[in-house]
Formats: sequence, C-alpha cells, structure tokens
Amino acid sequence: MFLIDDIALRALGISIPSIDMFWTIEQIYKFAYKETYNPEKIKSQIKENRLLYEFGETTRDEYDRTNSELMYKLRLALKASEMDLGQKTDLLG
Amino acid sequence: MTRRTLRTDGHKPEEGLGKYVYCVIKAPEDKNSFGNLGFGGQEVYTFEYKDITPVISDAVFKEYAVDEEEVETHRKVVERVMTEYSVLPVAYGMIFKNRKLLTIAMGAGYAAMKKAFEAVDNKVELGIKIFLPKGVEDWNGKRSECRSEFLENLRGISVDSKELKLFSDRLILNVAFLVDKAKILEFSERVGEISSGYGEVKVQYSGPWPAYNFVDIYILGKQRKGFR
Repeated sequence: MFLIDDIALRALGISIPSIDMFWTIEQIYKFAYKETYNPEKIKSQIKENRLLYEFGETTRDEYDRTNSELMYKLRLALKASEMDLGQKTDLLG
Repeated sequence: MTRRTLRTDGHKPEEGLGKYVYCVIKAPEDKNSFGNLGFGGQEVYTFEYKDITPVISDAVFKEYAVDEEEVETHRKVVERVMTEYSVLPVAYGMIFKNRKLLTIAMGAGYAAMKKAFEAVDNKVELGIKIFLPKGVEDWNGKRSECRSEFLENLRGISVDSKELKLFSDRLILNVAFLVDKAKILEFSERVGEISSGYGEVKVQYSGPWPAYNFVDIYILGKQRKGFR
C-alpha cells in the first residue's frame, strides 16, 4: 500500500493544496486539544485563582465555583493524558 | 546493630487499611502519637526505622487524587508535626499497602533521607510572591528592579533559594527561601522593609513551611506517584 506522506512531500518542496488544508485543520485541532487538556496550564489557573482569592480580588463563592470547574478540567486532562488520546496508530502499518 | 521497631503503644492498627505517610522526622525519644488528625480521623503516629521515622496514619488504600480537602488534611498534619520537629515533607498521596512495604521503602530511601535531613534540619521554607495590580502590565520597567531587590537582599539572609514558576501573567516573582529558624525574625523584618518601598504591588509573604521546594525524595520511583 502506497501512502503519500505530507511531511515527505514538504521535504521535497511539493505542496498539494487539499493535503495542506487537512494538515492545517489537524494543526488547529492539535493546538486546541493541547490548550484544553494541558494539565500544567490548568494547575497554573488553579494557583492563580487561589492567589486572587487570597489577595481579596475574588469572593469565596467565586473562588469555590472557579476552583470546582478547574478541578474537574484537571481530572479530565489527567485522564486524557493517561489514555494518550493524542496518539495515532496506523493500523494498516 | 540497628533498631527496627514499630511503636504501637496505645495504637491498634486497623485491618485492611494502608499506611499513609505525611512526613519523616528524626526518631523522637518519647513521642509516638500526634492525635487523631489523619484521614478519616485516624490517629497519626510514628513508625520507627533506625534513627528516623515516618509519621503515618492508617488510611484507605487507594490512589489519592488531587482533592482540596484531603490535601488540606495532609498539610495540617505536617504543620502540626513541624511545630515540634524538623520535618522532611513527603509528597501528597504516598501510601503503602502494609508495614512490610513501608519498611522496604524506608530501607531504599534511608541514605537519601539522611542526606536531606542534613540540608533542612532546623530550617524552614518561607515564600514570597509579588503580584502586579490589575491592568498593569509593564509597571514602568520597575519589574526587574523590584525582583532584584527582593532576591539580592533576601538571599543574603537565607541558606538557599529557589525561583518557582510564574503561574500568572501578573506574578513577577515567586520564590521560596530556605531559612535558619534562628533567622526568621531578621528575614521577616527585611521583607517588611523592602515591601514598604513598593506600595503599588501586592506582596504575599508566607510560611514557615516544611522545606517542600528543597527536598525531592520519591521513594521507589516517581512514576507511580507514591501509590504502592
């Protein structure tokens, strides 16, 4: 089975518009995925939320609500990274 | 010959529960209980291994996920213990299925723990965070001046320091200092003096904490997050 590898084509300086479009969509998807399921980023948001509360910039209720949302997001992100959802396997080899 | 005993005076371990480790201290002569402060109101007690001892409680054997209430329980126990002893903090979630596995882990980590004790004995961690007011991004270029003044002055009084992650765009300094217990007052006064020169920023001075940022011991590997 012959598969056109877009990376190989790029290395040769060949660009096929339809493949380029899929490549761009894939990059946007990967970026969005990384932003949503990045545990380190969520942990930073949890710490920032705590600091805002400690400095009196948010109320206890706001702190609790945001913290619950972020903790939920963190659990999802950790689960996602454990499951390696970002990995693709070419089953046809 | 080395001592390897479990002090159980007055403490009856419950069946089916694991041994949750909060911190490690030098083996005390006469103390073996810190009260019922552990998870589920369980007694926090010492488990002697040679000349050091983990401070533990019987707890449900499970993987301890990040949970604010449980992290708070862990933190409170460590803070209680450190009112009397120098502590080696242990990462949240370190639980062993039984005494035998805990003893094996202590054996594996003994040399590293002894070395870590030398570094943190009679010292505490103090934290400084400097936060810009809302809406201020550049702060007229005073950002680096402020950072340097805090760092240079406070490094002179502390034994060690570690710059930590700036987890917010408004955070311009996040640093932990390892300070001799005898110098806490001097350190605090210096923080007050420097802070008074920067009234426009918010300064959070926290501690004393166990030396969380200066000790990094993962018994039997980091991968399993202490769950054995």
